[in-house]
Parts: sequence; structure tokens; C-alpha cells
Amino acid sequence: MGVSPGLAALGTEPEPWVAAQIGGALEAVFEAVAATRADTAALLTRAATEGRRPASADLAALRPGLHRRLVRDELVSGVGFVAAPGLLADVPAWLEWWQCGADSGVRPLLLDLDPGRSAYSDYTHWDWFALPRDTGRRAVAGPYVDYLCSDEYSLTLSEPVYLQGEFAGVAAADVYLRHFEAAVLPLLRRLARPAHLVNARGRVAASADPAHLAGSLTKGPDFGELLVGESRIGVHEGMRLVPCRGIPLVLVLA
Amino acid sequence: MRQDQSDGGARRAVFSPVDSRARVDTVVRRLGDAIELGLLADGEQLPGESALAGRLGVSTVTLREALMALRQQGLLITRRGRGGGSFVSLPELPAEDRLKTRLRGWSTEELRDLGDHWAALSGAAARLAAQRTEPEDLRQLCRTAEELRRAEDAPARSRLYGRFHVELAAAAQSARLTREQLALQGELGALLCLVLADDTCREEVADRQREVISAVQDGAHETAGTLAERCVRESTARLVAVRLAL
Repeated sequence: MGVSPGLAALGTEPEPWVAAQIGGALEAVFEAVAATRADTAALLTRAATEGRRPASADLAALRPGLHRRLVRDELVSGVGFVAAPGLLADVPAWLEWWQCGADSGVRPLLLDLDPGRSAYSDYTHWDWFALPRDTGRRAVAGPYVDYLCSDEYSLTLSEPVYLQGEFAGVAAADVYLRHFEAAVLPLLRRLARPAHLVNARGRVAASADPAHLAGSLTKGPDFGELLVGESRIGVHEGMRLVPCRGIPLVLVLA
Repeated sequence: MRQDQSDGGARRAVFSPVDSRARVDTVVRRLGDAIELGLLADGEQLPGESALAGRLGVSTVTLREALMALRQQGLLITRRGRGGGSFVSLPELPAEDRLKTRLRGWSTEELRDLGDHWAALSGAAARLAAQRTEPEDLRQLCRTAEELRRAEDAPARSRLYGRFHVELAAAAQSARLTREQLALQGELGALLCLVLADDTCREEVADRQREVISAVQDGAHETAGTLAERCVRESTARLVAVRLAL
């Protein structure tokens, strides 16, 4: 089943069109992640060709690009590179992470990563880090409460970064759920039936259906299975399930 | 006119500075806990008075009063002149004695109220988590309960205990409950060292955490809520007992 672009398709196949538009909104965020990955890989490689291990100061070169992406993409509220522990010569762990500030400026995230003082120093178990590391592919983590960086209910999109074939960390971008909802709600409301979006585990990421609010679980269908399949539309006890192509979210119609 | 006279005291209270004493106490506790937990290191210089007051969102008058109290507790020293300022100074007393001094600053009524707030947060979080959790969400809680079982020193135990409750609020998918829990643990964290130093208490807490995790996993939301509240109440009761023994 092809996806017809544009409004012309709205009369005949609105659901795949809406799913494609939602996928497109997150693809734009993934472009910011990919650009960060490319910048990071380039500067890590440069250090390696100089015959030395990269250091935290090298990562400062990422800042102009990170700041540009924060300002340019409305959905992106945090962006950066999170180093695999042991990558950098001068520190055991590091996040080169920038966020939108309250006053429309940008600010760095400063975390206490000393395990002797902070209970939150090990970030390697978070989905946004572990999924790209373990699968080698890009990932959408959440929705989840991000109590490490922003204290916001968020989606984090991430991609692995490699140095000479070895996993070096992840490039990532945060999308606060309230911003995501503002972006996709007009699309969901175009549909004739109450609609919501879930991740691979059935967690609601955005909803125009009062019976399924963000953060709750939609139980029953195996959404993970549907997402690894051929992106075919599924049906489960009266619900229509439309995968967003390329993005691990499923559009669910009551 | 009669009205005015009889309400004189109440009217004066209206125009008295908002919660100034409470603000001083809050700053004293915040900085004192940070020193106690090692977030501010021995010998470290604090930012200048106006900068620090600005960051804490209090007036310089409030800040000066708080710094004076911290000097009296022996947690700060002030050097005058060039290169002067306020410096963190850990007294020679053992950590436990210093924490007991800090606990004396809390009335049992305040501790009871803090415990009620904490139980309300954690009970609500456990109930919601049981409805909204799938197995992947529980990995972090399980890891924390395991680490607590192995943690040797009291500060590490208290950090892990706090993390458990923060992770529970996150499993409830509530940013607000999580933020409140983080703020609460900031207030409470150092004091909990006093009860968690005891191995029996540590075991009891780790067992309770396991029970909460199981109930959340089973989707038994009422049981999960009741167990989380019980865990918090037992810890608070132990803290009140320590306070009364001082």
C-alpha cells in the first residue's frame, strides 16, 4: 500500500497520510541527530589521526552546530553527544549536552557524574543510550520522565556514533511530549475516528482520544511485532493499527 | 474601629515579611545537607553573597542570616580581605554526630509532616505505576533495590533509597510527581543516613522495595500503594525515634 502525498489523498486514505506526516515530523528531528553524529564522528576521527585519544575539550567544537539545531528546530529542546564511558582521555564519562533555556537562549547541561556523590552518574542503562549501543541502529526512547536532564516528559531520538568501528557513544535529541503533541494533534484530529499514537511497547505518546491519554498503556496488540513487519495496516478487536513508516510509532484508531 | 483594634495582630502579620524565618531555615538546610553529602567539598569557596542569594532566590539579608547559622554549626568559615569569602569547613566531629545536630533542627511535627508528604507522593506513584508499567520499566527499580542491598556506607544507601522513590515516580509516567520527589529527597536525603546506617533497617527497606516492585509488576495497584506508603512510614518513624532520643 503506497503512501500518497499531499491533501489529494485525504479523501481516500487519510490514515496512512497522517502516519506519514507524523513520521516526517520526527524525521526532521532525526536530521538534527544525524548532523550531530556526523560532526562528532569527524572530530573523534581527527583526534585519532593525530594519534591521540579525544578529550572533553575537543567536544566544544560541536557547540555552534548544537546551538543552531536548538534554535532552528522547534521540536528539539535538547541536543548533543553522550560519550561512552572510557572514550575520553581526561574524564570517565561526559555529556556534551545543550538545552533551550527559559529566556529563549541555550544553556549547557551540567551534571555531577561522580559516582561517589550522585546516584544518577551512570547513564548507560537509559534506553536512549542502550538501544543504539545494543542494536547499532537509531532509536526512539520514551515517552518517559527524563529526571536526568530536563525533568520533562519526553521522547529522546538517538543514533550510535562509531570511532574506527567501535561504539563511541550516542548523538541524541530531546523532544518534550507537550511540544510533540502540539505538532501532531492537528493531524490526529483530521481523522474521522478517535486516534492516538503508541510506541513499540504500547505506551501512548500523543492522543486525540480521551480514553487513551499520553503515558497510559494500550494493551492487547503486539505493536513491536507490527513495527518490525512490512508496515502493513493491522486490525485488533475493532482497532485499526497503522505503523508510521521508518519511525517506531503506531497510529491507533478506536 | 473596634474591628481594626481586635484584628491588629492579624493585620500586622499580613504585612510582615513573607516566611522569612522559613526561608532562612530552608537555606541553612539546603547548604548544610549539600556539605553533609559532600556535594560541596571541604575547603570549597561559596560564590559571593549577592551571586549566591540570586541563585537561591532569597534576599542578601536572608542569606546572611543563613550563613551565620552555618558558621555557628561549624560548617562554614569566613575569611576577610583579598581572596576572602565563605569556605566550607567540615568539623572534626564524626559525620553521625553532625547529622544528629542537623536533625535537632527538625521538630517531630515537621518530620511527621514531611513523612506524610513523602507517603502521599510515593503511594500515589506506586498506584499509578502499577497501572502504567510494563516489565521494561521495572529494570531500573530492580537494579536500585539490588544495589541498596550491597551498598556499604550510609551516604550511598541514602542516595539509592532516594533514587528508588524517584524511579517509582518516573514509572508512574508523572513528571510532576518526579520533580516533587526529587525536591523532597533533596531535603531528606542526608538525614536518612541516620537510619540507613543500621544494617537491619537497610535490610527491611530493601525487602519493602522488593514487595513494592512485585505488586507494581502484578498490576496490583492498591497493594503497591499501601506497601510504598508503609515503607515510607517505617523510615519516617525510625527517624522520629532517633530525633526523640537526642
